Amino acid sequence: MKTRRPSPRIMLIVQAAVCAAFAIAFARQPDALGRGMRAAGLEIGAFSDVPVTRDVVQQVEPLYDDPQVVSDEELAMVLGKVRPRFSRRHLRPNYVEHALRTWGADATFADDAVLSGREMVEFLSNHGRYAKSWGGDTPPLLINETGGVAVRWGDDPSASVHHDHLLASLSEAGVHLQEKVVPPGNRTKTFGSLLQQALRDFRIDERETEWSAMAFALWLPPQTKAWRNSAGRRITFDLLAARLMRGDARLGVCSGTHRLYSLALLWRVDRRHGILSPGVRAAARDYLQRMRDAIAASQFPDGHWASDWARGEASRRRPVDEPEYKAVIATGHHLEWLAIAPPEFQPPREVVRKAARWLVQTTAGKSRAEVLARYTFYSHVGNALTLWRKTRPAEFWTRHVSHRNTANGP
Amino acid sequence: MSATITGQDPASDAPQSPRDAARGPVSDDPDGPALQDRMPQWFRSPRSLPLYVLAIGLAFCYFSYRPLWHEDLWGHLSYGRLIVSTGGIPEFEPFMPLAEGVPLVDTAWLSQVLGYRVQELFGVTALQFLYAGAIALCLSLLAWRFHQRTGSVAFSLAGLLLFLWVGSHVLAVIRPQLAGLCCFVGLFVLLNSRRPHAADWFVVPVLFALWANLHGSFPVGLLLLATFCAGRAIDVWRRTGRFSRVWKDRRTRRLLLLTELAAAAVLLNPYGLQLYAEVFAVASNPNLQDLKDWEPLTLRMQQGRAALAVAFALMVLIRFSPRRVRATEALLLIGLGAAALWSSRFLVWWAPLAAFSFVQHGHAVVRKISFRPFAKLSRPRPAGCDPSAYRRSLWTVAAIGLAWICFACTPFGFRLVHGEGPELAESVSEETPLGTAAYLREHPPRGQIFNAFEQGDYLVWAGPPGLPVFVTSHAHLVPAQVWYDYVSVLLTEDGWESVLERYGVNTVVWPHRHERLMSRLRASDEWELQYEDSNSAVFVRKTPLPGTEARPQ
Repeated sequence: MKTRRPSPRIMLIVQAAVCAAFAIAFARQPDALGRGMRAAGLEIGAFSDVPVTRDVVQQVEPLYDDPQVVSDEELAMVLGKVRPRFSRRHLRPNYVEHALRTWGADATFADDAVLSGREMVEFLSNHGRYAKSWGGDTPPLLINETGGVAVRWGDDPSASVHHDHLLASLSEAGVHLQEKVVPPGNRTKTFGSLLQQALRDFRIDERETEWSAMAFALWLPPQTKAWRNSAGRRITFDLLAARLMRGDARLGVCSGTHRLYSLALLWRVDRRHGILSPGVRAAARDYLQRMRDAIAASQFPDGHWASDWARGEASRRRPVDEPEYKAVIATGHHLEWLAIAPPEFQPPREVVRKAARWLVQTTAGKSRAEVLARYTFYSHVGNALTLWRKTRPAEFWTRHVSHRNTANGP
Repeated sequence: MSATITGQDPASDAPQSPRDAARGPVSDDPDGPALQDRMPQWFRSPRSLPLYVLAIGLAFCYFSYRPLWHEDLWGHLSYGRLIVSTGGIPEFEPFMPLAEGVPLVDTAWLSQVLGYRVQELFGVTALQFLYAGAIALCLSLLAWRFHQRTGSVAFSLAGLLLFLWVGSHVLAVIRPQLAGLCCFVGLFVLLNSRRPHAADWFVVPVLFALWANLHGSFPVGLLLLATFCAGRAIDVWRRTGRFSRVWKDRRTRRLLLLTELAAAAVLLNPYGLQLYAEVFAVASNPNLQDLKDWEPLTLRMQQGRAALAVAFALMVLIRFSPRRVRATEALLLIGLGAAALWSSRFLVWWAPLAAFSFVQHGHAVVRKISFRPFAKLSRPRPAGCDPSAYRRSLWTVAAIGLAWICFACTPFGFRLVHGEGPELAESVSEETPLGTAAYLREHPPRGQIFNAFEQGDYLVWAGPPGLPVFVTSHAHLVPAQVWYDYVSVLLTEDGWESVLERYGVNTVVWPHRHERLMSRLRASDEWELQYEDSNSAVFVRKTPLPGTEARPQ
């Protein structure tokens, strides 16, 4: 059968029909183009901003006030040593982040040598302040990106040490979503753009997910419980919780203890907003209970834990030879997550008291300079002990100073 | 049924006039009238038909006995099983826990469902039948077009052999790509018909709508159509020197419209426009660079050497061929040849084009040089003869008989005829981890396992339900970091043990063929061999890693 030449009219009709077919297909899937861009290795249109409806981060309050864990005097002694009395020159972001999450954005100190909460926020969020400390030759801490603001992190002392630690620290410190963030170039952005960049960059398989998980749990629920990163992967709190439970429990930042803090925080947010599915919730409960049993079994008679605490009783029976600061890390961090963990995840209270006693004694035996040299670890000690008094370091310190001044008289 | 059996060569004793031709060959046999072929004309076939049926039937038999490959086939069947059981295509990767949340655009969902249904109804031998049937279909379509273009059985069969040789590495494995290849060959044959047909306006869009749901290779088909259109336009322009003639050319317009309609027909799939983005995303996925199938074509590969030999033969033939090389032919041979250099997986699309060119130009060269031994192969039919004069019922009967024999000899035919088929172990490749999957079903591991990507699919298919495999052959769905870590353990790079610890792996299922990790595991004090057969082994950590006992379901 022979066909005739398609007439111009037929040509036009077919063009219109084909265009209409593609237009309808695009209207049904407007994000298909973005995925196509991503397929071609372009980020354009691949990520849509995740809705964040709260302006102020939600707080996960400590649950217990036990003076037998730490007395007011002991706590004042410890907090006195972990005040952020840093040199303004070459101020290490990692130290400032730890101090900020411990003391909060509103902390003030009578001593001018000690950084206030506001100063710390400014240092971390304003390139001008950062450059003043490190000079113009140092690469900036904040990096302008198309969709937001990224943070330079790594082993360099002038950088943040952990991925999203700066974000989590500012969040825990209580900064506002509209807080100004000034990256190089004087293009003022907001803390929200820092959060969006983190959501965009986040990969579930990266080495450190603890702080990302924490920040996302504090900011996103209840409105947002699932979102997509720039690779198109759907991220949920189930996935974050599963990731925190994945692998050898000893692995992870600070001997795996930050994973427990983040998981306990997810658990608390889940109780409030239902962010986990029943299966993952059950797995998280089981996991935290097993970790509770492991730390009860691995505690040394003097109250401290070693870095291999996850081995349970084997950790105590065959102790590893390691420097003392490793025990400070493990013990301080464990008390921190236990302070926000519900009773079902609590070991016998005596376990906590023994650990707190060891921390107080160890800190008391250290000079201020020694504490500052290991500031990141001791800041957790100060924070953990304060949480066990159901308060915050800045709040306690202000009360303590006021009480001391009253006692000393005018 | 009666038939004339003369034993004469129709080519040498051709009827002398059209009238004679209409009556058919004359026999000297006194019983001739009684043995007159009285079957209707449509039932009669040329003598070449049994030859083609025999050749393609033998290929069909050969491929029917090829063991089912142990890699992605089982993954595709697993997707098919999931789609059938849930009634929908999963939105995210369902089998690899480490790829949870990764969007799944299932470009082969229809092949998977068909494959699973066939396997469910008739067993694995039916998969072998499907596999051999797909290849036989490609061969039949090509043979039809080759013969139509040359009239030479010898050159047509040579073309088929060349197609099988060049495409052997892809044809050796049953996977949805074969469905795509059938569509490609069908389209190629259709586009090479001497005269366009009105039915093409229906056939081409339907073919593409089907193709888009069977396999993600439909862009190659669009490329084929577009190249035919561009090639035709170039030829017209070269001949006339005027662009206006290109626009007015009937075939150019027709091909342009067919290309557009085909592109629109692709949208008839569950993902719509997104399917286009996805096929490019898969092809550009960096994980695939570690897979042999996707490596650039080199002479170290058997198919690389075959391609080079064929390319050289084609250059020689084209140099001496009296046939004009059309722009379409040049564009396709060079374009798809270059694509095959980029990734050897593309070679299978080049194979039918190369075979077609080889047959056409080879036949033309032989006719030109009148090389005596080949003269008979390329002798034209006497002018004025009615081709139907050479058609006989005998050849049809012989072809049907041969087809039946070739079918009945296959495992599936045997199963249909006798009601029983071979054991599963006889139908699958030796690398299929049958024993390991059975062991794992009886001793389900707790927590994440580590496995070779080529065994992941079968473990998903036949292992315990919900087995948390590390990777499967769907490498493009594996997150980049997970894939990187997988390769580092595979190569036992520094820190491979800590990678396993990070993922909480307490069980390693490993094939013997990857000796490096196997020997490390055997030598390790931390791992204990719990199961081993000729194919693979299962190692379990003597002391489970702290905190790895539970896993969210």
